[in-house]
Amino acid sequence: MLNLVFLIPLLPLTGFLILGSLNNRLPKTIVSFVGCGTVLGSFVIVLTLLSGTLSGTITSATISYFDWIYAGDLNLKMSFLIDPLSVLMMTIITGVGFLIHVYSAGYMHEDSGFVRYFAFLNLFVFSMLLLVMGSNYVVMFAGWEGVGLCSYLLIGFWFKKDAYNDAAQKAFVMNRIGDLGFLLGMILIFTTFGSLDYDDVFKNATSVLTENSGVAIAITLLLFIGATGKSAQIPLYTWLPDAMAGPTPVSALIHAATMVTAGIYMVVRSNILYSLAPFTLDVILAIGLATALFAASMGLFQNDIKKVLAYSTVSQLGYMFFALGLGAFSAGMFHVTTHAFFKALLFLGAGSVIHALHHEQDIRNMGGLSKKLPITFLTFLTATLAIAGIPPFAGFFSKDEILAAAYERSPVLWALGLAGALMTTFYMFRLLFVTFFGTFRGTDEQKHHLHESPLVMTIPLMVLALLSIIGGFIGVPEVLGGSNFLKNFLSSVIIPYGEKHEHLSHSTEWILMTTSTLAVIATIIMAYVIFVVKKSVPAEDNKISGLQKLIYNKYYVDEIYDTLFSKPVTFLSKIFHSVVESKIVDATVNAVGKAVSASSKILRLSQSGNISYYLYVMVIGIILILFINNIL
Amino acid sequence: MSKLKENFNDKKMTAVIILSCLGIVSMLADIFSYKKALWYIVLAGVAGAIVANLNEKSNAIIYDMLLTDNYAIWFSTLILALVLLWFMVSKDQYESGVYNSSDNYALILFATVGALILTSFSDLTMMFLGIEILSIPLFILAGSNKKDVSSNEASLKYFLAGAFASGILLFGITFIYGSTGTFKLDKIADWANAAGSNLPALFYTGILLVMVGLAFKVSAAPFHFWTPDVYQGSPMFVTAFMATIVKGAAFAGFFRLFYTSFTSASGSWALILSILIAATILTGNIIAVYQSSVKRMLAYSSIAQAGYILLTVLLSNQEAKYALLLYIASYGVSTITAFTVLYHVEKIKGTDTFESFTSLSQTHPLLSVVMTIAMLSLAGIPPTIGFFAKFYLFSSVLKSNTSYLWLIMVSVAGSLVSVYYYFRVIIAMYGQHEPIISSEKKQIPAFYNVLLLLLVCVIIILGMMPDVLMSIDNL
Amino acid sequence: MKDLFTNSLNGYILLSSLLFCIGVLGVLIRKNIIILFMSIELMLNAVNLLLAAFSVHHNNPDGQVFVFFIMAVAAAEITVGLAILVMIYRNTGSVSIDALKKLKW
Repeated sequence: MLNLVFLIPLLPLTGFLILGSLNNRLPKTIVSFVGCGTVLGSFVIVLTLLSGTLSGTITSATISYFDWIYAGDLNLKMSFLIDPLSVLMMTIITGVGFLIHVYSAGYMHEDSGFVRYFAFLNLFVFSMLLLVMGSNYVVMFAGWEGVGLCSYLLIGFWFKKDAYNDAAQKAFVMNRIGDLGFLLGMILIFTTFGSLDYDDVFKNATSVLTENSGVAIAITLLLFIGATGKSAQIPLYTWLPDAMAGPTPVSALIHAATMVTAGIYMVVRSNILYSLAPFTLDVILAIGLATALFAASMGLFQNDIKKVLAYSTVSQLGYMFFALGLGAFSAGMFHVTTHAFFKALLFLGAGSVIHALHHEQDIRNMGGLSKKLPITFLTFLTATLAIAGIPPFAGFFSKDEILAAAYERSPVLWALGLAGALMTTFYMFRLLFVTFFGTFRGTDEQKHHLHESPLVMTIPLMVLALLSIIGGFIGVPEVLGGSNFLKNFLSSVIIPYGEKHEHLSHSTEWILMTTSTLAVIATIIMAYVIFVVKKSVPAEDNKISGLQKLIYNKYYVDEIYDTLFSKPVTFLSKIFHSVVESKIVDATVNAVGKAVSASSKILRLSQSGNISYYLYVMVIGIILILFINNIL
Repeated sequence: MSKLKENFNDKKMTAVIILSCLGIVSMLADIFSYKKALWYIVLAGVAGAIVANLNEKSNAIIYDMLLTDNYAIWFSTLILALVLLWFMVSKDQYESGVYNSSDNYALILFATVGALILTSFSDLTMMFLGIEILSIPLFILAGSNKKDVSSNEASLKYFLAGAFASGILLFGITFIYGSTGTFKLDKIADWANAAGSNLPALFYTGILLVMVGLAFKVSAAPFHFWTPDVYQGSPMFVTAFMATIVKGAAFAGFFRLFYTSFTSASGSWALILSILIAATILTGNIIAVYQSSVKRMLAYSSIAQAGYILLTVLLSNQEAKYALLLYIASYGVSTITAFTVLYHVEKIKGTDTFESFTSLSQTHPLLSVVMTIAMLSLAGIPPTIGFFAKFYLFSSVLKSNTSYLWLIMVSVAGSLVSVYYYFRVIIAMYGQHEPIISSEKKQIPAFYNVLLLLLVCVIIILGMMPDVLMSIDNL
Repeated sequence: MKDLFTNSLNGYILLSSLLFCIGVLGVLIRKNIIILFMSIELMLNAVNLLLAAFSVHHNNPDGQVFVFFIMAVAAAEITVGLAILVMIYRNTGSVSIDALKKLKW
């Protein structure tokens, strides 16, 4: 079983090499066959590993291939770690990855860059596998940089548009800032432990680091900075909404299901270090929660179908970090898993809609699509129910586990978490209702051409929909008669943290669950009333005072909604969007760039071209050096 | 003559002797008209020198002037390998008819002799001679495009600045001699150890002046001003030679001197050197941002890289030797690759600005890929050798002395800035699309395609397994 | 100050440093390239003088040997310098360093 492990990353790499070197010389059928086939091959091998880990024949195996870097006391092996955590991630990457590859074969069929697209996608799967399979931080970092590169290439896939290139660059730069933190964290780990192997680091962690010591906090914070870049957390999240410039399946695979969860994987992988730094966990908790709420509030009024999903992704990632900050590492991983299913499904469904409407992304120009695109509608509905957390859909269980963990810490955190969940429910149903209900608002031309997507696209949708329904059963909590299977599965990798808190009694858990479900249902009804019964459509961009229009309609519900809920949130949303995001976050980033470029402009004038002047500066330099030396 | 033979039989200084003879053979090519075969002869000769150098008797002391320890042998090998590479990639420039290849090759070979001496000296006299043997041919080479005023100007600037810096270096050497009474590196070290912390002003002033002289050679701020002008004005491959081989040899010499003789006196120069390093990294990286010529950008980038490499001198320990070897190898290969691509682009488009790289990915996909890899390596992004070189360098600094954390932060900030200007090239090649003029479609000879692919493989393979260089024992 | 005159070595150091500084100033101030060459020679000769003085002081011949090396190298260097100067004069018709300010920024 384990002797085939090397094939898992190697297959997609071979796919990339074949497609990359035979650019545009292959028929599309063969290209999609190679592209999907290699990932399918990896998936099959991963499944054998999965059954091995499930049956307990594999608990934790390190497989070394060759000495990668051997220098002084730095000894790094190219080796893979196969344990429940990496197998879980590998299953998601290859499984969801395979479905998205298949879907892409249909979605990208008309694109001139078909081969290039599959080559990059295969390269991405390879890098992502490297990231989760590595048994030391350097292999992880290599994969980490690899996925960043692929993300850059794929966001800017349609590079003829400048805006897309800018988006790609923004993503790259933001990620690099995060990577810097990761790199420094790695260096610090190496200087502290003398090794970068997970084995050495984690085994010695408790003896080398004391709880909440400066080094422990520094290491974990630096690594977390890396995670904020890759997983789009405050303050480095702004690249993700822009990253929607890439083809939609890319958004599904890279910017929803897999790459952006790399930060969470990294923190969970290092959970032993993090449990030694409760301070960092509190920071993560705060940032995760803030991101979850803040991004959800911004999602409320977006009109681009992919932008809504993008903010939703940022918010859900915040949710996962929230879980990690609570010390509920396995709940975080659980949410990663279910989120991969339903968010990939949402993006693919959105892609199907965009495909049907010939690249229309504005939901105000959609409506009434449920009859024309029945499969897309039904699957999208499933995913929406899953993300909203209606039992028994997948999202319910994972979200519930996080909320329960939050309540254990403090009811306030639970309430904030629930508020985020309700906002999510509201904007997701807004999206669903505006897109699929009511009457069609696009052009006649578009209406004429409306069509359901081909089978090659709808089959992945249906598979993912099935997973979104049943995916949650891997972590049914005890109170519902389950055994929290996933938690036990991961128990060998994740050390229990925060057990000092008392466990919730079953009755409390029942009450929490019922409350949150009822609140979610109430929110859905509210959205239904606003967007279906009252048929309101988000205002046009050029009528900024569109809110007044709604007031003119004099619907009682609208008015309540407007004054109690929408106005303050719109206001906050606008403030966050226009002040915090563009004025503070973006402006700081831009200001640094501008300062460098301005000082460059000035400093280069020091190069006057006059040799006497050069020598003069040199002599001044010597005098200064001798002078400094004499005073010190 | 018998001495020479004795040396050969003893396997002492064989590489230096081979290269000197090769230089003379090269000068005679015009008279005996074997100029067409000259390139092959030189290539074979340099390859022979590499073999001879690897077989050099280890730890031989030659007239108490040179010491062929492992450090000398491996840095010489690296330099010779880069020279061999240089001869391969520069073939086109010297076949164009503008330059007389036999004179130019002879000068390059003589300069290489100086470079080899700089890696193996055990006496300040030899260090001075090495530097001069390395520099004087380069003054001429910088001006080898005789009709071009820029080339003339580069030559004169280099000459004046170089001669001035030599004067300061000599003044420093004299001070050291005055206080210690010897030119031998090991004896100076013994003297400094014996003197302990109570060093006379004459001695540490001498160290500082020597440091200034060498900082000039490696173009550290504020002694870097000549670099951009000279690099820009000189013919492309002369610039490549200066940026890689000359700089590598100067660093090898710098490190050898400070590591052998001045470690015990580090209190008097470490702080100043760390300030120079920070200034160099910031100046180089910041000014590079605003350049319009890629060649000049590479000049500033070489200043910035010099700042990183100087960190090894600051460390002056066993691990720093490996970091230095690795960094020079990484920087040398990546820079030669970048200059080769730049040469061909300039030849096709007529200029070396960033604009000349526009849409290169459409007309010359291979050149674009090669340039991308070279830029990634210079910026220090995995999986290239440049990443590992930087990583290893920074982590060895932090490991030996955490008080230099501020310097590492400056370095890392500098390399973040560098990503900007290196990526400008990549973005120009891939991001922008303009109508293509048919004259710009001219392809480069297949020989260079193969060579460039090979270079890319080296950059990536070394990046994957740098332990090839790290496994040398007892450097 | 008394030490300066009683210890003859310090006198040499002072004299050489002065000569060296004159050379440096000459390089910095003058515009004619030939004068610049002469100033550089002056710097080197200051070094030679000091080396000879130290050599006698330490009773060690190495310093004087070094002087010969410096002379030989300086001769070679200045030959190259003059050749460069001739080339520049042919192209620009001037021997002033102000004629060469094309490469900048």
